Amino acid sequence: MKAKGKVWSMFMLLLITVVMTAGCGNKASNEGQGGNTAGGTETSTPTTKNDKDIVIAINANFITLDPHNASDTHSISAARTMYEGLMGFDENMNVVPVLSASHSISEDGLVYTFTLQENVKFQDGTDFNAEAVKVNIARIQDEKNNLRLRKSFAKVAKVETPDAKTVVITLSEPYNAFLNKVAMAPIISPKALTENGADISKMPVGTGPFKFKEWVQGDRLVVEKNTDYWQKDLPKVDSITFRPVPENGSRIAMLKTGEADFIYPMPTEQVSEVEGLEGITVDTIDSTIVRYVTLNTMKKPFDDVKVRQAINYAINKDAYIKVVKSGLGAKLDSTMSSKTQYYSQQTGYDYDIEKAKQLLAEAGYPDGFETEVWGENESETMKGMQFIQQQLALVGIKVEVKSMEGGTLSDQINAAKTPEEAKIQMWYVSWSPSSGDADGATRGLFSSEMFPPAGSNTAYYKNENVDKWIAEANKAVDPEAAKSIYANIQKTVWEDAPWAFMGVDQIISGKRSYLEGVKVFPDGSINVLNAEVK
Amino acid sequence: MSDNSAVMGTNSPIPGEVIAPEKTKGRAGVFIRKFSKQKMPLLAAFFVILLFLIAIFGPFLTPYNPDEPNYDALMQGPSGAHWAGTDEYGRDILSRLIDGTRLTLAVSLSSVLIAGVLGTILGLVSGYYGGWLDRIIMRGSDVLFSFPDLLLAIGIVAILGPGLSNVVIAVAVFGTPSFARIIRSVTLSAKETLFVEAARSMGAKNRRIIWRHIFPETVPSIIVNLSMKIGGAILAAASLSFLGMGAKPTEPDWGAMLSMGRDYLSIAPHIVYFPGLAIFLTVLAFNLVGDGLRDALDPKMKN
Repeated sequence: MKAKGKVWSMFMLLLITVVMTAGCGNKASNEGQGGNTAGGTETSTPTTKNDKDIVIAINANFITLDPHNASDTHSISAARTMYEGLMGFDENMNVVPVLSASHSISEDGLVYTFTLQENVKFQDGTDFNAEAVKVNIARIQDEKNNLRLRKSFAKVAKVETPDAKTVVITLSEPYNAFLNKVAMAPIISPKALTENGADISKMPVGTGPFKFKEWVQGDRLVVEKNTDYWQKDLPKVDSITFRPVPENGSRIAMLKTGEADFIYPMPTEQVSEVEGLEGITVDTIDSTIVRYVTLNTMKKPFDDVKVRQAINYAINKDAYIKVVKSGLGAKLDSTMSSKTQYYSQQTGYDYDIEKAKQLLAEAGYPDGFETEVWGENESETMKGMQFIQQQLALVGIKVEVKSMEGGTLSDQINAAKTPEEAKIQMWYVSWSPSSGDADGATRGLFSSEMFPPAGSNTAYYKNENVDKWIAEANKAVDPEAAKSIYANIQKTVWEDAPWAFMGVDQIISGKRSYLEGVKVFPDGSINVLNAEVK
Repeated sequence: MSDNSAVMGTNSPIPGEVIAPEKTKGRAGVFIRKFSKQKMPLLAAFFVILLFLIAIFGPFLTPYNPDEPNYDALMQGPSGAHWAGTDEYGRDILSRLIDGTRLTLAVSLSSVLIAGVLGTILGLVSGYYGGWLDRIIMRGSDVLFSFPDLLLAIGIVAILGPGLSNVVIAVAVFGTPSFARIIRSVTLSAKETLFVEAARSMGAKNRRIIWRHIFPETVPSIIVNLSMKIGGAILAAASLSFLGMGAKPTEPDWGAMLSMGRDYLSIAPHIVYFPGLAIFLTVLAFNLVGDGLRDALDPKMKN
């Protein structure tokens, strides 16, 4: 028996080796084959599609389907397939009307009047009207619900509904990013809200082009066509299945075999390999996604600004782009990407090991220290964390890499109710302002009101000037004034270095060529409204 | 490998044929003669010795610093400068394999040794005393046996948390029952032998009988089983590391190297090829040595 088991395991090992080698050989022959049978249906990978059910593979799980409480881009993408807000975004992150037919803003910037689209129904058959908007804003504002969006609507003084298709929102003070925030607030069916209560995050009901079918955590989210959708002739596909596939290799294999029709992100190291393959199209756009490492400024040794600056000097960002991003990306030279509103370029933190060592010595850590970096267990994030570990090792900082599944990580970070409880030391993560404005790229990350779980200031960064400026910037009606305030904020945060500033992503997605209309926006959210199989 | 059919022999040597303990020297001689007659196990034994030397002198043998990245030489194929190529950070794969040998051997040896010690004690107690103690221990190992090995290990690591030390515990736990069973069967037959009966009649205490008279009889079985289990332990530890439950991705563990390299399977297969080959050869060598030991130590085997 023993010997049998052993021989068997030997055999399996051999088999794996053989399959591996064979797999490598196959790739080359496929490429040739694809060329010969261009346009035919005999290729090993499909170039046409018979049904209208599309599969989109993404790199992480959805955290929640509650559109008012989503903070990760994938959850926001998912919510937007089923929900719509009064306003929305186009592919350049401009705010455009969706459920509101028109809107006007009073001269003092305090009163917003929305006229709603007519004949819009929620997926449960109830009417979309002014009352529904009011109910939703009340839900967001309710402190008991503790929703992510609450702080964005803190300045809403009252919501009035003179008639069924008019909503008048009055603010307590001017807030120039308010329309962007309105675009971040999809409208949930009031009936579903009362019936489902807290379960609304698992049973979404909105007005969107797709309605919820099923969500199997960790495996798939399926949405199907909303046949009563108010926009004519949309959507053009029957269903969309989102599949979280954290592993780069698997995601790319799914695209190659046609198991997935669209993948995002496309692993950067594979781009050169897939480009030019029959039936596959790779799209690249500049993004607003910034990658950084938050340094918990309330924890030793990161409470010392010299340590934080030293870390910024110790990391070679050019090498980071090359190794982790396969050259597809740019260095992060501010707190936001150059594609974001009111961006102001910063200089400094050029790779300089000696300077980093000197700063560490001045801070009292001549021999470095030990710490840990957290991040998701997805291929590229793990690679980034290891890169950071290698770089910091050169100045004596020993970093332990801790990768966790997205939900676990989010729990770990939000479990701390006060900054003192926080266990986080370093977190390698990315941020994109899904609201498309400078406020979205600043307040949630650097305002001291936004410590987790209320916001995403995971560096626990607190600077009174920055707090004051953020408030002022929101009230500034003149764009030039706002611009100079944001320049101040970026300069101050850059010098305070609550982050190790890493890079700006390029958005790279891969799709089967027969699929059209699926777009990744600069913030990394996936838009499927116009998805079409040709 | 040709005499695989006689595997069961070790587990129940016939009492009458047990050679008397005082002839240790002669026994060793016979063993060496028998072992060196077998070509494959001998070759494998040299390989294993080589592995141990690499593990001991590894830091002096690595052509490059195994942890030092070279961002100008990413994912290069095997060449004169890098015999096994470089990985996704430009680290020399051969150096990492050499460095990882120590990790691999340490994890597999310590887990098998722990399993061996625990299993031997349980087997001796179970076989010698019998009765309800025997029943509890054997039913306990039956329960452990009923789990597929790796699944049990994954379960244990899931409870204890990831990390190499927990992998050692997990592999040790699923290795223990097989030792317990084998040693129990040897104990059962040994306790019926004349010299044990003689010792007892002279008033020797149970502990002395077990330790001085029965335990030496079980040593050949222990050695054989140890060597046979090491291969499995290496495989199990590598599998756990591959699944991200063992070594940290930063450590040059062979399984972890495989795991990190699988993203590049289609563009740089050498990143997984060499760690895979290392695991394959090492497991094969330990198993062949185990075969050879069994054949050489089994008194029933006639040349």
